[in-house]
Parts: sequence; C-alpha cells; structure tokens
Amino acid sequence: MTVAAFSSEWAQAFKEEINKSPVYKQAGKGWKWTVGLVVEAEPDKKFPEAKGIVMDLFEGEARDVRVGSAADAQACDFVISGSYSRWKQVALKELDATRGMLQGKLKLKGDLPTVVRYTKASQELTECTTRVPVTWPDEA
Amino acid sequence: MHNPGARDLAGRGVTNPVDYADGNEASAFAQLLGGLIEANVVSHPEKLKDFHSLKARVGILVTDIDEAVTLDFEGGHLVVRNGLEEGRDVTIRADAETVMQLSNVKIGFAGMPNYLDATGREVAGKMLTGKLRIQGLVGNLTTLNRVTRLFSVA
Repeated sequence: MTVAAFSSEWAQAFKEEINKSPVYKQAGKGWKWTVGLVVEAEPDKKFPEAKGIVMDLFEGEARDVRVGSAADAQACDFVISGSYSRWKQVALKELDATRGMLQGKLKLKGDLPTVVRYTKASQELTECTTRVPVTWPDEA
Repeated sequence: MHNPGARDLAGRGVTNPVDYADGNEASAFAQLLGGLIEANVVSHPEKLKDFHSLKARVGILVTDIDEAVTLDFEGGHLVVRNGLEEGRDVTIRADAETVMQLSNVKIGFAGMPNYLDATGREVAGKMLTGKLRIQGLVGNLTTLNRVTRLFSVA
C-alpha cells in the first residue's frame, strides 16, 4: 500500500522501516540527537507549502517520526534541508544523501564531526526511505 | 554550516583558523571540509599541534561527483579553495563514500592512523584496489598522517 509523500502515514511507515533495520540499529548506536528534515515548497510540483519531518532518534532506534512545520524541523539538533524535488530524488535512490550534501543539493546544519562519524547510519536512513512505497503529489 | 567569526583556539591565540579563498562562493564541499577541520581543531586541543606544524598544499578530488578542493595548511591557518590548484604536495582521489570514510579512520598507537580495524582495513583495501589514490605519498607520509589526524572524527 502506498502512502502520500511526507504525510503522517509516511512518517509512521518510515519509522517502522528504521526500527526494522538491523543495519541502522548497529550504525546508530550512540546517536542521541533529534534530526529535522526540511522539505522546501515547490508549488509547481504540487507541493505548495514547506514541511518538516521531526525525527527523535536514540541509540539505533526511531522513538518518534512525525510531520510538522519547517520551523519544527529547524529546531532540531541537526537539520537537513532541500527542495521537494531533491528529497524525492533521495527517496527514489537517484541522489545519494551524502553526495547531495557534498554538492550542496542538501544543506546540513549541525555539528559536522558528529554527522561524519555517523555516515553509515545516515546512509541507512536514506535506504529506509526508499523502502516506503510513496505516492508523489506531482505524479498523482 | 560554518561560522567564520573570530575565535581563540584553546587559548593559543589563533583566530579565524579557516578562511575560504572563494568567500561566499565557496563550494558546499569546501565548506564541509573546512568546517570539519575547524570543529576538530576547536574541540580537540590535542590536534592543535598538527594544525600549527602543518605546512602543505593538499588536494582532494571526489571522483563520483567531480568536486574538488585545495587545502592550504599554513602553520596554524587553513585556506580552503574550490577546485584543484597547482603545486600540491599530496592529492587524494576517491569517491564520496571513501572520503567520508577517511574521516572515520581511528588514530592509534603513537598518533598513527589505525589501518587494522574494520574501517582502517576497508580504507587500506581501497588503496590497494585503486579506489583510493594518493598522489605524492612518497616523501609526504608525515604530512598525510597529520592531515588524517586533523580529519579524523573517530
């Protein structure tokens, strides 16, 4: 069953995928900070308002993943921002999140050494998003 | 990503440890590497010795995204430039994943990079298979070790 991109149902499915992942459980050990994903608006892609994904990740487990405002996500310890199209590319495996950050396609805010230390965990989080079947607003 | 404000590194009187030659046009990769080294030096005073003694021009090319930077270590000051400049002492060529992996190489006995644990072995394996290429290694091993220590977040 597909869920609408960046909806509450998507957030729940994403959380379940993270908690099903033995790779993330191992790679995320020691992580204890919140992560916010800012999905910037792209009205021409039928994504008219920015959204924020607020992730409470702790010691290899997703305690909560919820959809909120962009401001909610920006208040997290680590924030990754990108346009709706960029995040769609990430979810479709067309853009690797690490490469996206190095190229400036995704903007990162937060303590860099910590992020670099958890590269494997962040790659697995990306993998988890790709496992959630999604309906995209610009394709609906 | 990077706060260019003046600061005093662990009381050593070093201000603005990192500058960007391209200013606001500094690439995301340049800002990431510069920010990483600055954060490492600021939060790990034991890395200051390396930072102060390192005088070298180091290039890093990320092969799969065609992004490159030149790091000019000037003994207590680093200038980060977009692209590869001439006159490099050491040039590292690898894909994005490997470049990130380099920062996860642990520093072991006598301050030497540890190539014996899982991450170290993987990095060493990439050198052997040519996925990680280091030009100028001969004669610049000390420089490379210092750079590795400054990069390391492990």
